[in-house]
Amino acid sequence: MKKKGAFASDPKKVIDELGKETVLDCLKQMLLIRNFENRGEQAYQQGKVGGFYHSYIGQEAIAPAAVQAMGKDHWWGGTYRCHGTLLCLGAKPNEMMAELYGRANGNSHGRGGSMHMYLDNFLGGFGVVGGQIPIMGGAAFSIKYQGIKDKIAVCFLGDGATAQGSFHESLNLASKWDLPVLYIVENNNWGIGTNVGRVICVDKLAEDRAPAYGMKGYTVDGMDFFSCYSAFKQCLSDVINDGRPVIIEALTERFRGHSVSDPGLYRSKEQLQKIMESDPLLVMKKHLIDVKLIDEEKYKAMDKEQRDIVVEAMKHAESSPWPDPVVLEDGVYA
Amino acid sequence: MGQIVEYREALRQAIDEEMTRDPNVFIMGEDVAEYNGAYKVTKGMLDKWGPERVLDTPISESAFAGCGIGAAMTGLRPIVEFMSFNFSFVAADQIISNAATMHYMSGGRFKVPIVFRGPNGAAAQVSCQHSHCVEEIYGSLPGLLIVSPSNPYDAKGLLKASVRNDNPVIFLESELSYNDKMEIPEEEYLVPIGKAAVAVEGKDITLVSYGRMMKPCHDVVKELAGRGIKVELVDLRSIRPLDIATVAQSIRKTHRCVLVEEGHIFGGICAEVGCQIMEHCFDDLDAPVERVCQLETPMPYSKVLEAETLPNPRRIIAAVERVMNKN
Repeated sequence: MKKKGAFASDPKKVIDELGKETVLDCLKQMLLIRNFENRGEQAYQQGKVGGFYHSYIGQEAIAPAAVQAMGKDHWWGGTYRCHGTLLCLGAKPNEMMAELYGRANGNSHGRGGSMHMYLDNFLGGFGVVGGQIPIMGGAAFSIKYQGIKDKIAVCFLGDGATAQGSFHESLNLASKWDLPVLYIVENNNWGIGTNVGRVICVDKLAEDRAPAYGMKGYTVDGMDFFSCYSAFKQCLSDVINDGRPVIIEALTERFRGHSVSDPGLYRSKEQLQKIMESDPLLVMKKHLIDVKLIDEEKYKAMDKEQRDIVVEAMKHAESSPWPDPVVLEDGVYA
Repeated sequence: MGQIVEYREALRQAIDEEMTRDPNVFIMGEDVAEYNGAYKVTKGMLDKWGPERVLDTPISESAFAGCGIGAAMTGLRPIVEFMSFNFSFVAADQIISNAATMHYMSGGRFKVPIVFRGPNGAAAQVSCQHSHCVEEIYGSLPGLLIVSPSNPYDAKGLLKASVRNDNPVIFLESELSYNDKMEIPEEEYLVPIGKAAVAVEGKDITLVSYGRMMKPCHDVVKELAGRGIKVELVDLRSIRPLDIATVAQSIRKTHRCVLVEEGHIFGGICAEVGCQIMEHCFDDLDAPVERVCQLETPMPYSKVLEAETLPNPRRIIAAVERVMNKN
């Protein structure tokens, strides 16, 4: 059994710090992600969405905690499993669903699809494993070059990416150049159907790697919002105060296959059921019921509210215009 | 009033002038700072601009090319030197998946104003892994601009234009051209990207090339002039955009054409240019177009074999003669 990291889950402390409404907003975000991914996959099964679809279900504690703990005003970027981060940073379910449907008013005008959506401060979901890691070093380079002190680059990556050359090259560069970048390794245990333990030569993806690059490395329970919140607070403070890169591994689980087209035959139903006992939404719900912030009824009402938003987004997407083929070649060059 | 400068000095002036004009311009690459550049293009720049704007990188093409792209997406205008474009293959994912696609893929949200520059193609006997011509690889990708200046004047003007362009530019130099000298203006000038040049006017046949191969082409033009054949020599100067209009205009005058390229014949730039000539000038041609390119081998080390696989004046003249003799 792996350690779950040094960051305690302390709901009371975080609620005191953030206030009840803000914590409830974080739960709302987690529910929005869950509902968005459920409905997005449903639309995929109906043939409304094409390409690849990498669901964030199971990992919903991480992105909301990161955005809440560190604030939005940084450079953000990540993998093709990008919907959760985008929703937390303020991308609208309507524009994202319209993108999934390939419509003209989609987030990237029907050019990117599920894997490639953007915000002015989100440099993208990147489609090649590890491809975003050098890019986020560049964003951190800009911050340093421009002399900005309170801003960092936040780079999400998966467990599989820690085997890529771009990862090791970038950590060396970021360390040597003192780049203000936080690497968040979302370790969901699987590179498609290959277990992380079969292909990665260290146990702790951040803590074991960090000393080699002279940077701080942490591990956190990625299924617990409150642990993640404390961890990312610490990380932000380290990056800014030390002016150095930091790497953190969030131990998590994806409940779906790698993408919609992966039936996940490499783990049994029993294994999956066991994993789902640590569902970040259930964990969060239990915490909030324990401190009497919500009850079952309120949770259900919040869930329904988010579901309604996503159903509305599907209607919006369905009725949105297709791109006019006349614009096909627009924007190949700036 | 002009100044006589080497190709490398023309490049240095371009970088220096653009860094003076725009504080967001900086240069990074292997050995560009303390060592003054593997080919001394960045000579003296560290002393002048300091380590914030002239950066020695580790030997990590993927990391520093990607770092440049990320910096370009977030407001800076990097110049990234590849010690050799052969090494850009280590960064291929960054250039191909990220730089080339980003503006389109993001629905126009992110621009990537970056210049990747360095020597391309064969040098002198550096064998199979240091002699690739990358333009036929990167040239096949919409989203990249491909520039290949053949002389110091164009090198300076095109590099300045490339730094100011909002797109990723693959800027191809040649190790064998850095010592070339030429008189260029003292005052500032730009050369627009995407305009071919008629380097020599003629009426009998059109010879089209670019980059380092312009030198053997000039030799051929001189030799054939002595035999009364007036060759019109067109320098493409950029591969993307391709100025097919200037090529077509020349062919409508001469009705014959030979294409010369340092890289391989299979799927190369001449294959594209030749096909576009057919599309635009089929009825203007009095003879089939011929290509003189690198033969279908990796680059051999022995100078005898190297000379044989590369285009040379003998092969170019033979092609011109064949095209001239067909009706």
